[in-house]
Amino acid sequence: MVCPSLFSIVTVGENMAAHTSRAFLSLGRINVPGLGLHKSVSRVTYSTGLSTDSSKATTGSPQKGGKKVLSKKYKREPGDPRTELMPVDQDWTAVYPVATPFIPDAIPLPVRMGCPVKGGAPPEKKGNLELIKIPNFLHLTPAAIKKHCEALKPFCTEWPSALDTDAKCDEHFPIKVETKSYVSAGPSIRNPAARIVHLSVKLSSLNLNDQARKKMLKLVGDRYCKDTDILTITADRCPLKQQNYDYAMYLLTVLYHESWKIEAWEAEKTVADMEEYSWEGSLSQENILDVLVRMKEAGEGEGEEVREQLLGRREVQEYKDSVTRLKNEGENESTMLQYKEAVKKVLKL
Amino acid sequence: MALHRVSFRLRQTVTHVRSLHTSGGSQQQEAVAAESEPEPLSIFRTQENDPACQSEKHFGQYYTLPSAHVRTVFPHGLPMRYKQQVKTFNEACMMVRPPALEVISSLKKTDNSKPAVRYLFYGLKGSGKTMTLCHTIHFCYTQGWLVLHVPDAHLWVKNCKELLPSSFNSSRYDQPLQATEWLRNFRITNEPFLSKIKTKQRYVWTKRESTEEGSTLGELVDQGITRVKTSSDVVGAVMKELRLQSGQPESDFRLAVAVDGVNALWGRSTIRKMNNTAVDPEELTLVYNLRKLMKNDWTGGAIITTLAQTGAVYTSKYSYLPKELLGEKGFDSMDPFIPVSVPNYSEKEFESCYLYYMDRHWLQYPHSRTEDGKKELIFLSNRNPSMLERICGFH
Repeated sequence: MVCPSLFSIVTVGENMAAHTSRAFLSLGRINVPGLGLHKSVSRVTYSTGLSTDSSKATTGSPQKGGKKVLSKKYKREPGDPRTELMPVDQDWTAVYPVATPFIPDAIPLPVRMGCPVKGGAPPEKKGNLELIKIPNFLHLTPAAIKKHCEALKPFCTEWPSALDTDAKCDEHFPIKVETKSYVSAGPSIRNPAARIVHLSVKLSSLNLNDQARKKMLKLVGDRYCKDTDILTITADRCPLKQQNYDYAMYLLTVLYHESWKIEAWEAEKTVADMEEYSWEGSLSQENILDVLVRMKEAGEGEGEEVREQLLGRREVQEYKDSVTRLKNEGENESTMLQYKEAVKKVLKL
Repeated sequence: MALHRVSFRLRQTVTHVRSLHTSGGSQQQEAVAAESEPEPLSIFRTQENDPACQSEKHFGQYYTLPSAHVRTVFPHGLPMRYKQQVKTFNEACMMVRPPALEVISSLKKTDNSKPAVRYLFYGLKGSGKTMTLCHTIHFCYTQGWLVLHVPDAHLWVKNCKELLPSSFNSSRYDQPLQATEWLRNFRITNEPFLSKIKTKQRYVWTKRESTEEGSTLGELVDQGITRVKTSSDVVGAVMKELRLQSGQPESDFRLAVAVDGVNALWGRSTIRKMNNTAVDPEELTLVYNLRKLMKNDWTGGAIITTLAQTGAVYTSKYSYLPKELLGEKGFDSMDPFIPVSVPNYSEKEFESCYLYYMDRHWLQYPHSRTEDGKKELIFLSNRNPSMLERICGFH
């Protein structure tokens, strides 16, 4: 008699020889002398769905034949893929309620992905590992999002009715703070990316005069977008979101106050530091006045009055506009053309 | 397209007439031959070979430069590929285009007493700026102006084999080889003026050599060519003399300064000093003197320049606008100037060029004679003159 053991070890008994290849978690029958015979013999519990009678057989062949017969009898035909049976107006959120890998038979789209065969198309979706590997968002269709919103609505409060336009929101709440929080299933609920805080404010809503604005732009550098006039401060150096928010607010305060202060060395600002080109006092002005004086356009006169008179002329003003536009806006066909016309008029060609 | 068909029809009549002529046809047929002979040529060619008489009706047409002019006026000025084309076709034909005529008409109206006006040709790579400059120089030459042509200012700021410290000013550097070559070409172009213009100042080259006041420009130039060491200073002296003397009531010549690749004067150079620091273009005698010529403080002439990215160092391949290539310093020095845009071929000009190449049997394959072939040429070259020329060599 043998005792059942819990280990799935290769059996010792010779009458188990037929089993060795087939049983997986079958009980090993080890002759353990000394153990009592009290326990009832429970037969194979984990092995693949073969009948327990098969253990009595000594030869393999009738068993193999039996297997063949059995599998032929019980083999099921694979039915139609689910895509054929889906109604067109079904509820897709029921098909993909959660994030699931790509199931070709459940998605009624003729998607192809992968490297195309020469002269052919990429492989189809059936058995396509590439489609399974990539993330899909089939569980986040607009219908699903709508359902999420409906589910979240009981937890929301009403939007204040007085703030019905964007302009009013900007006016009352000029500072916008953007943060992201993350939810995921894993060993830890913390996500270090949740500490990042973006603070954006329009510079027009801050009280800055010309000099303060220029200084602010120089202090801030890349964080300012000229097209939308928005200054964005991103804080992520502290470990907690609240600390980063406090730091961002502190930065904004400091920038504002510093840009209003005027230092002694700011008086040494050179032409190279200027943000935009101003024609007065530039080389261009010198050149044009020089040329006009030599062309004897102004007639006789002394230095200063002649210059004043020349500057007041319409062609010179046009020339000044064209050069300023060229330097500030950069070059393109239209600015070049304007400059050419202005120069021709000034030099009387 | 209509032009093409017309030219074909006329060509057929010409060949037909020619065959009759050779077989000894009657006088009537000879008359017909004489009449229809010049017609097919006039669609893309013009007989008006004098730039001064060309006008809008010659736009897109090719005029021929006399070979004597090509030898004297352009010993060093034409683009390399165009020189090869001249040799292949055995004639130098240039297209009359709007930017050139615009500047030529302004030049005709220049006032000798006013300061020199600066013109700047700019455009995409291969759009024909150097050729336009050559056209204007040809005009100046035919009008009897003195042409000071610097074919490529980039050659002076790169690949310098010999760099000597200048004897005149110790902080500057001389380039004897480039200077002698330029003086030689200058002598070829302006032979008649060399004996007429006299120097106003005495130049001392070494303890024993000097050029006296009142000697001719020719002697000065010879001095530079023979004594290579002093050639850069001679160039400077020549430029100074011409600058001072042009526009004066007693001198009867007008000065045309033509510089190709003027952005080299204010750019960077690849030449290095002995201690491996880069040389600023300002420290080169040739560049320094040329910059002085570029200023409009002299009268009685004009300054015609071209931008060039092709030989430029430290510039992006795609930049072609004036401020990009000249830089801040260059723009401020050239200001106020007249920028003249040189675009790619227009449809009419492209037609003309296509017919010219066909006429010269440059387009070999029969496919290029079809409409499809022409569309292919337009597509491949985007009507860019230099690209078209290169592609037609393979079609």
